[in-house]
Parts: sequence; structure tokens; C-alpha cells
Amino acid sequence: MAGLAICGLTAYAQGDASKGEAIFKAKCTACHKLDQRVIGPALGPTLQTETDDKWLTKWIQNNQALIAAKDPKALKIYNEFNQSAMTVFGDLSDGDVANVIAYVRTEYKKEQTAAPAAGAATAVQETGPSNLVVFGLIGVVIIAFIVILVLNKVINTLERLVASRPALAPEEVAVEEAGPSKGILLAKALVKNKKFVFFVCLCATIFFASWTWVSLWNTNVHTGYQPVQPIKFPHDLHAGAMQINCQYCHSGAYKSKNATIPSLNICMNCHKTIDRLSTSKTPSTEIAKIYDALGYDPGTQKYDSTKMHPIQWVRVHNLPDLAYFNHSQHVKVQGLKCQTCHGPVETMKEVYQYSPLTMKWCIQCHKRTEINIKGNAYYEKMEQVHELIRKGGKVTEAMMGGIECGKCHY
Amino acid sequence: MLAMNKIKILGIAVAAVATTVVVTSCKDKRSTGWEYAPNMYEHIAYDPDQPNPNFKDGKTAQKPPAGTMPVGFVSFDYPNTKDGYELAGTEVKNPLPSTQANFEDGKVLFEHFCSPCHGMKGLGDGLVVAHGFPPPPSYSTGQSSRGGAMKDLSDGKIYHTITYGVNAMGSYASQLAPEERWKVIMYVHHLQTL
Repeated sequence: MAGLAICGLTAYAQGDASKGEAIFKAKCTACHKLDQRVIGPALGPTLQTETDDKWLTKWIQNNQALIAAKDPKALKIYNEFNQSAMTVFGDLSDGDVANVIAYVRTEYKKEQTAAPAAGAATAVQETGPSNLVVFGLIGVVIIAFIVILVLNKVINTLERLVASRPALAPEEVAVEEAGPSKGILLAKALVKNKKFVFFVCLCATIFFASWTWVSLWNTNVHTGYQPVQPIKFPHDLHAGAMQINCQYCHSGAYKSKNATIPSLNICMNCHKTIDRLSTSKTPSTEIAKIYDALGYDPGTQKYDSTKMHPIQWVRVHNLPDLAYFNHSQHVKVQGLKCQTCHGPVETMKEVYQYSPLTMKWCIQCHKRTEINIKGNAYYEKMEQVHELIRKGGKVTEAMMGGIECGKCHY
Repeated sequence: MLAMNKIKILGIAVAAVATTVVVTSCKDKRSTGWEYAPNMYEHIAYDPDQPNPNFKDGKTAQKPPAGTMPVGFVSFDYPNTKDGYELAGTEVKNPLPSTQANFEDGKVLFEHFCSPCHGMKGLGDGLVVAHGFPPPPSYSTGQSSRGGAMKDLSDGKIYHTITYGVNAMGSYASQLAPEERWKVIMYVHHLQTL
């Protein structure tokens, strides 16, 4: 059987799969995967159903010509994929195309035969721990039953013992009565001891005083605050391993007061094509939450606007309304790194507040940081005015921005 | 006797302070802790990224009404089609002067927004690609999926692609203002020659 299958495969494919692999990885992976629809169709199943290799070669070498010639099969694909054209690969010879087709068919067959085995393996792994828990629980229940039975027997024998020798019972009661009276005596003695009372009062006072001190200093200070977010977004993967710049998602930080939480279209720049970890065989449940919020169906790659709902992220860094803070001033003008205030976000699996964001913390930095006057129109103008005063010139309020609308009408 | 007492009192004081510090430092990281005047922290005024019960969809950031245009809006009247792309390619030219400052700005913007996939030199070898994202073609040696070599792409074609996206690349219109897109294009033209 196996021999027949291999014979059949080689006769059917004709091309050299190993040569095809190099071409496939260089030219095709930008838009195609074997088992998944990306920009173009999933090539594995497509090439299994489509066996007309001559037509395939024509399509791969120049799909535009086929579309222009109104070839029905070509038009169907063209319209199914929103009329986005495939790159023309005129530089591939007939042999090259045959190699690629051979590679796709053999590789997809390999994946398909490997998949059920892998699936079975993961199924066993998945049920493994739950079995252990179930057996463990049953064991605990059985042991508990045994303990109850043994204890019942012990109680029974003790009761019989007491019943057969009535002298035992009153003695126990007498011992119990003597116990508390000793304790009360000790307590009375301690209360009368002035030194002891003084030490207790002192301890309590110091404890509450220092507790008040520490709590007051930490009121409204949220350092270390790490709320649970609706999606477990790993900054360590995006900003750490892949070194995507902070500005890519928080693009407001360079332009506005607010650093901005990225809207989902920015997630979809990449996650339109990426629905799982590169090491994972199954789609990620966290990425699925993005699709869910957008009403996006990864199978058809279409959005359903009626199912859209915003994701409610939990704010980590929060300044009170009484303090004005502007991101662009710090990032763009002063050129501060985001990490100066937000800490090593690129190593955080889950974001937490790194800095205290207290007034003392702000002031400390403002006292130490030197400003860069060059290229800053505000400070350059200030310098000019100072120069003018030094030369004995007249400086008016208007020259200092005194007739800006916002000076009065803010 | 007095000296003994002093040592005792001191010792107890230190112990009490230490226990308080230990007790209070066991803070719940999921909670913000005690807050004084919390209405100063939970603003009465709405921030753009906060929920808002006054609107039907519960968001503060509302879309502008249909048919309106923000002040200073730069329109780009070429549709997201192959024809629109070709037309933009011949008609649209970079309005910014080709200065060193614009080029430097473009380099920074390119590194922040484009290099994750396109790579620092535009070869299509960024770190996101190394983690499994489909690689884009190289600016200098690759072929465009819409015909022609990547190194021959004109101002308008690149602007059209940044604005609408193509294939695996999404639209960058929300992240890059028109002027920023033109700065990026200046730097991309440099990478095309590498």
C-alpha cells in the first residue's frame, strides 16, 4: 500500500519537492500558508482539489493575463478575494512551478498524516491532569470515610468505657472547673501590674502611630498596581522579543497629552494574519477576544459591525484631575524614554505601575533634569527677551505672549 | 533598672514599627489601595478612552458625523482599488521639501512604524517576520504584488499603500498623519536604492 502511494505520488507530482521548498519560502509565504487562508487561499487543500497543472502554471506565471482573458476559474478566485491581484511571477520557469506544486502537495500530505497523531497525543495530555485530579479527589473521599468510621468506633468504645465505670465522668468535670479560674487569676494579676499595662499601652500606641504614618504616606500612591486586564496582552513578547516601538501602538504619546490606548484596528494590522503563537498549533483564545470585539470572522475575513463592542481596558496609570500632565512635552520635546517613568515595560508579562506618580516624584525629576534650549522656540524666545533686557531694551507684556487668547479666555 | 527599661522600650518600639511595616507592605497588587478624595481620580469629565453612558454605544470617543471634515484635514481622493492605486502613482507627488530634517524625521517614523515587518533596511526581515509574520518584499530587490519592481514604486503608489494598506499590511492612516506619511516616503525612497 505504502509503496503504491509513494509511486502514485511521484508520478502525479513530477517536480522536485526539495527545490520547490526554497522557491515556496522565498516567493509564496508572503501571502500563502498550506493549511490556512491568509491573503490568498490555503494552498494545501486548493492544490488537492485543483489538479489541472497546466492551468496552475499559467495562473502562477501570469494571473493578470488569465483574468484579462476572462478565464472563468481565474475570475472566480479574483472576485472571491476582493479583486486583490496576485503577484506576477514571470521569472518562474515551468520547471520551477512544477517544483513548487510538488512541494505543496507532498508537504500538505505529510502535515495531514502527522496531524491526527499529534491530535491524539494532545488529547491524552489534556485528559492526563484531569484524571489525576479526579482519582485524587476519590482517594481523599475514601480516606475521609475511613477516618470517620475509625473515629466513630473510638467514640463508641469510649462511651462504653464511661458507661461501665461511672467514676470517670465527674473527675473530668472537676479538672475543667479548676482550669479557667487559674487563667482569670493570672489575668487579674497582670491587670494590677502597672508596668505590664504601661508596656501594652506603649506597644499599641507605637503600632497604631506607625501604621497611620505608613498608610497616610501610601494613600493615593498606586505603585505596583497591576489590575487584571480583559485581554492578557504580553508586552514582553511585543515590545521585548519583537522590539516593536512603544509609539507603534501608543502613537499619541508623541503628539498629544494622552499616550492613548491603541484602538483595535492597530491590533488588526498584524492579527488579521496572526491568530496564534508561532509555536502553537491551535488559535489563541486571547487573540480570539479581539476578533470577538470586532465581530470579525477569521474564516471569511469579514467584519460584522452589529457585533462590535469596545474592550474595556483597566486604567493602570491615573493622575488626579488637579494635575496637568502632557506626554508629548516629555517625549517629543525633552526626548525622555518611556521607560524612565513606566519602567521596564518590555519585560512585563502583565503591566504594573512602576513609578509612584506622586508630586514629590515629579518635583525630584524636574529639579535634576537640565533643559535643552537649542531648537526649542519657547526657550529661544525667552533667551532673546533676556538678552533685550540686558541691553536696556523695552519688553512689553505682548512680547511675552500676553495677548494670546488663552491668557484670559482659558 | 532604668537602663534595662530603656532598652526594653526601645526594643518594643523597633519591633512594633517592624511589624507595622511588614503588615502594611502586604499590599494587594490588584487594588489601588486607600484613596483620599477618589472623585479627583475618577474624573467627572470624560476622557476619550473612558466609557460614557450618555452615548448609545457607551464610548466617549465618537465618530464625527457623516459628511463632516475636521479642520486641517488633508483629503486623498483616490479609491482603494487597483485603478486608484495606479492613478495616485502618476498624479500624486510629495508636497514636502526634501530637507535633511524631514528625512531624519522620516527615518525615526520608519523605524517605529515600519521596521517591525520591513526591517531596518527595508529588506522585509523585521523581528515580527522572524516570529512568523508573512514577510513583505524587499524595497530594493523585491517584486510588488501589483506589478513592477519595489524599487520603482513612485511617491503616490507608496502613499496609497500606507493610507489603505495592501495584502497583509493594514492601513496606517490612523497612526501616521499625511505629513508623517510623506516623511516616511522620503526615507523609503532612500531604502529603495540600497
